[in-house]
Amino acid sequence: MFAYTVRRVIATIPVMGIVALFVFSLLYIAPGDPAAIIAGDQATPEDVERIRASLGLDRPFIVRFLEWLFRVLQGDLGVSIFTNLPVSHMIKQRLEPTFSLMLLTLTFALSCAIPMGVVAAWKHGTWIDRFVMLFAVLGFSVPVFVVGYVLAYTFALQLDWFPVQGYTPLSNGIGGWVSNLTLPAVALGSAFIALIARITRATMLEVLNQDYVRTAKAKGVGQRAILFVHALKNAAVPIITIVGIGFAGLIGGAVVTESVFAIPGVGRLVVDAILRRDYPVIQGVVLMFSFTYVIVNLIVDLLYTVFDPRIRY
Amino acid sequence: MSTTTLPPDGFTPAPKLADVLPPRKERSKLGMFAYRHPTIAVGGFMVSLFVLMAIFAPLLWTVDPTALAPARRTRPPSELYWFGTDMLGRDVYSRVIYGARISLIVGFGVAICAASIGLFIGLISGFIRAVDAVVMRIMDGMMSIPSILLAIAMMALTRASVENVIIAITIADVPRVSRLVRGVVLTLREQPYVEAAIAAGTRTPMIIIKHILPNTLAPVIVQATFLCASAMIAEATLSFIGAGTPPIIPSWGNIMAEGRALWQVKPYIVFFPAVFLSITVLSVNLLGDGLRDALDPRMAKRI
Repeated sequence: MFAYTVRRVIATIPVMGIVALFVFSLLYIAPGDPAAIIAGDQATPEDVERIRASLGLDRPFIVRFLEWLFRVLQGDLGVSIFTNLPVSHMIKQRLEPTFSLMLLTLTFALSCAIPMGVVAAWKHGTWIDRFVMLFAVLGFSVPVFVVGYVLAYTFALQLDWFPVQGYTPLSNGIGGWVSNLTLPAVALGSAFIALIARITRATMLEVLNQDYVRTAKAKGVGQRAILFVHALKNAAVPIITIVGIGFAGLIGGAVVTESVFAIPGVGRLVVDAILRRDYPVIQGVVLMFSFTYVIVNLIVDLLYTVFDPRIRY
Repeated sequence: MSTTTLPPDGFTPAPKLADVLPPRKERSKLGMFAYRHPTIAVGGFMVSLFVLMAIFAPLLWTVDPTALAPARRTRPPSELYWFGTDMLGRDVYSRVIYGARISLIVGFGVAICAASIGLFIGLISGFIRAVDAVVMRIMDGMMSIPSILLAIAMMALTRASVENVIIAITIADVPRVSRLVRGVVLTLREQPYVEAAIAAGTRTPMIIIKHILPNTLAPVIVQATFLCASAMIAEATLSFIGAGTPPIIPSWGNIMAEGRALWQVKPYIVFFPAVFLSITVLSVNLLGDGLRDALDPRMAKRI
């Protein structure tokens, strides 16, 4: 287990390196010459050249990349063009809402989707199954922000059950935190639920045909125990795989959801940065989200051994 | 006396088969196809409906979708303005009908570009080991960047235009197609008929084109359909957050982005493009589901 963990962690290093290289190239080819901007309109070409040299912008790509990478590893993501604040500081300020939203969405989506998929597989071919499959296709087809607006219009504007927009920090009490994040989490979770319910159903259909399920039935094990203990445990590996892969969609959806519900998270930060062409911020957020995604999938890989002890790479 | 003469008295000849069996339902070729693949039929029909709507937008009782009329701004839906007017007095109905063009161009554009580039990369790296190691590491890295973020980052670098939206979404989608094709190629190259072709001295390009490529097309077509659907959502998402199609062009994402400021009082501006977008994406997804069941039974069993 330990050796496997170490090997998996080491295997993610090249992936992260390529992500970093890609994200760095984005800034490298970004329009606008920082040296010219700093030098101002009055500067002569020689001045610009001198500033470029003093900033180290005249050195080769690979040297600049390694230097940048070294700073990133120390947590320095550069300085925002617009606010002049360190990017890492700006991201840190906004992590809580985004993290809360994702955590709530994940909890909500998993506790909806897995029972849905299990029941659909159990009642295979009935109207319950059809309903779940219909929901799965719909969940894929309706964009997150559309679901968001429909929910906000119905449950916040018309029924007044939840606040329309905004965010209450967890430190101000859990009630406001939950009521502010409920609609965004449901909106963001819709596509995720569709994805997981579909995979759960498909895997459960396969598992329920296995001999050990028949044996359990013959022994007189209860239906619920068969479904949720015997079968679900064996269906876990594909399900958590798709949770890991689907996490990318969750990140992308969070960016949009935060815009719809005016949640001051990292997603809002990157949307504002796009409008201002604040490249260091865009770069920092993309890097942060990508590393999160890689780490989530690393955790998924490590979870395989928990659910399926046969896996020993 | 022969024993095989006339039937005995009282024997009625067997009725003709056609009179006993219910008449075979006469179905045209098209009807038969729709009966066998209902999802392809429904999805395909709806997609072609939207394509026709986009092509014939000027004939569908629309007015100039960019014509400003500040005096008549934010009118609710009425007989004159079917979907109302936006904050600049533009007719939302016309904008939504014309908006189908952008969504469909981006959807089909991305599907075609990403499928062909992904097919090319996947074929090469699936067949040539030396290329495989490098290319797949790069693809792994790109796939680790959530695709909408990758598209956002690329859109931030370039000028907003429909072509750039297609390019940005395509780049984000290519790794997935390449991975899929590579996987198919890796199983195909172990097939006896490919070994036989190698043994017979067929040159590698010939093997790839004649023996491998045709077998990768079915999964790629299915994947391309789903890419088309997700690209439409991606375009709307990019436009919605202000990093997509230039605001001057009416696209469903842009209409929603403009309606965003007013959505609490004038929800219809956001509502109509949202409904059209969702139904279009749903149709393409239905088509994709149907195609997958018809073309790729192995995958259909899994998902």
